[in-house]
Amino acid sequence: MIKLTPAKEFQFPINAECINPDVLSGKTREEIEKLKIWEGNKPKKIGELFKVEENRTENPLEKEAAITIHGNVSKARRIGADMKNGEIVILGDVGMHLGEEMKGGKITVHGNVDSWAGSMMKNGTIEIHGNAGNYLGAPYRGCSEGMHGGKIIVNGNVGTEAGAHMKKGIIKIYGSAGQFVGFRMCDGTIYIQKDAEPRAGACMTSGKIVIGGFLESVLPSFTIDSIKGKVKIEENEVAEGPFYLFLGDRVEHGDGKLYVFKTKNPHLSHYEKYL
Amino acid sequence: MPVVKAVTCPVCGSLCDDIELTIQEGKVVKVKNGCAMCESKFLGYNGEHRILKPLIRKNGEFVKTSVKEAVKRAAEILAEANYPVLYGWSSTNCEATRVGIELAEEVGGVIDNTSVICHGPSILSVQDVGIPSCTLGQIRHRADLVIYWGSDPWSAHPRHIERYTAFSQGRFENSAWRGYLTKIKASQVRKKIESAVRRVFLKEAPSIPPLIRREPPPSIFREGRKLVIIDVRRTRSAQMADYFIQVEPNRDYELLQAFRALIRDEELEVDQVAGVPVEYLEEVADVMIRCNFGVLFFGVGLTMSSGKLRNIDAALSLIRDLNMRTKFVIMPMRGHFNVTGANTVSTWQTGYPYAVDFSLGYPRYNPGETSVVDVLLRKESDAALVIASDPVANFPRKAVEHLVKNPLIVIDPHMNATAQMADVVFPSAFVGIEACGTAYRMDHVPLPLKKVVEPPRGVLTDEEILRRILSEVKKMRKKRQVEVAA
Repeated sequence: MIKLTPAKEFQFPINAECINPDVLSGKTREEIEKLKIWEGNKPKKIGELFKVEENRTENPLEKEAAITIHGNVSKARRIGADMKNGEIVILGDVGMHLGEEMKGGKITVHGNVDSWAGSMMKNGTIEIHGNAGNYLGAPYRGCSEGMHGGKIIVNGNVGTEAGAHMKKGIIKIYGSAGQFVGFRMCDGTIYIQKDAEPRAGACMTSGKIVIGGFLESVLPSFTIDSIKGKVKIEENEVAEGPFYLFLGDRVEHGDGKLYVFKTKNPHLSHYEKYL
Repeated sequence: MPVVKAVTCPVCGSLCDDIELTIQEGKVVKVKNGCAMCESKFLGYNGEHRILKPLIRKNGEFVKTSVKEAVKRAAEILAEANYPVLYGWSSTNCEATRVGIELAEEVGGVIDNTSVICHGPSILSVQDVGIPSCTLGQIRHRADLVIYWGSDPWSAHPRHIERYTAFSQGRFENSAWRGYLTKIKASQVRKKIESAVRRVFLKEAPSIPPLIRREPPPSIFREGRKLVIIDVRRTRSAQMADYFIQVEPNRDYELLQAFRALIRDEELEVDQVAGVPVEYLEEVADVMIRCNFGVLFFGVGLTMSSGKLRNIDAALSLIRDLNMRTKFVIMPMRGHFNVTGANTVSTWQTGYPYAVDFSLGYPRYNPGETSVVDVLLRKESDAALVIASDPVANFPRKAVEHLVKNPLIVIDPHMNATAQMADVVFPSAFVGIEACGTAYRMDHVPLPLKKVVEPPRGVLTDEEILRRILSEVKKMRKKRQVEVAA
């Protein structure tokens, strides 16, 4: 196990894509300290910015390198980008593009995460015990290839456009979500336990969004389908209803499903006349 | 007295190129054809706030210095910085922006132009959806339905309506200026009477008027040019329009999506959208489909209200949908005279239109991460160069606090709010008055800017100042490399 501790409080963005189990596994402490990392526009070595400690695990089954980061790394970007296996545990806040395009393994964060966490991820799991920023699981600017698989669990709130352009996989948010959750999503599941800001599911063509709290308004381009008692979130997890089921977004000829908890949204009852 | 004809006006994105200036003893004394903003700039640019000497801050006070000394200090600041930002660029010429990008690459900084606080979201959506657009000349000659959304051209682009849309006499579409002007005059008289009655007889305090809910009048179904305004308040432009839709603030996205659904012949399961009854929207959608050549101009009212880039995403998609039924184009109402040029040069040089980060040695682009306001709000930068812009007056307070805390270089003809907080100030020549160059109109047509008078003695152009800083930075870096090697 490799333990990284920030040697100072960072001011400039740190481009830390080398903090990745695939890169660090099998390297000695000295080798890791020499790895290149960018601080602002200056190339540095990991050893200059982080205190690196090494505790080799005795369990032969755990050959995959596990990394733990202790402290605030909210300026460090692209941690765990492209990772294929292994585990990263972060005890503190972490910066943008966490686990970008990750293909496997697990990242656990005991703190808040900045925007673009799990951007375009293909597989693996990200568990966030604090809040997440905007564009959770969404692709970079101008790209329409969102999350292709894997799982993101957020115990706090998320910003805008969580799960934009999502193609597959699941995002579970146990707090509230910002605007445009599931924007242009094509498939997959997004579950929000609490409230969501308006424009949920805008331009979605397929997939499922479940909102367990208050939703101020449903877009005019959605049509009501029915009222459901229960909704399946994933294997062994069911959300208890009743839920209004809206279909949309019709402006994109979509048939995505938007479930909105009935009891907390009495202002949507006027849709019932179309049932 | 010499008269210079066909001068391009360096004020707004309309870039009117028919201005006639009378020059007397090296000064502009008369402006013909220009709007109020144009006249004010050409006649008043040389006012009391003009800076004539480079300034350096020493012990908290500005000290006049030589250009050489100021260039050296500026180069030191930029060469030593770990994450400098270079911001502005929209009110200077393309030639200066080109040098600026080279400087940003040399110092490994973030270069961003003012689109980040105006039409940046439009650019993001254009990259997502694409843009069906054309030149303003096409619109002048052919457009029979003109829609302005979240934009008040009468006040912000005063000659836009006259030169390119409703008031212009096109080859295939006639001008309707008489009718529109009568309307605006009548509306002003009515307003004055209402206000007098309220103040004198009813003794009421002014209040916010209720939302205007008016059925589309028969005139919007007629043949010929029609003007529709969609905005949150009844602007000057709205007063003369054939039809005005008052949208509830921050509900533009819903309205756009409703239009998209209606154009696809979908039925809406709501009675009103954004406060507008659906039957009115159906009629407007009908007008959109029935026109021969429609155009949607959108302003900052759409890009900077709730939804931001996704509002534009919906607007662009609406135009895409409309093009299945008729001919429709869309164009952003760009503000600064060369903001389009700043985007164009940046795209040509780096591949990206704004918010380009050179810190890793190659251009990276991700607005939200590399855009200057976000960099400042996260307190990441450690130096800044501001050119032809005034972020201290416009940026969020927290961003300004960080901007002025670090070394700040300003290149500007005027002592604006940012220059007052700077460490190094360069006076520069006014582009389009004292310096020539190229600027891009809002429809991406490049136009030449003329030099009509000489700049004050010793005052250099933006391009020349940047070139000197760049060459000084290169010299310093080379020296440092030699030292490290030794």
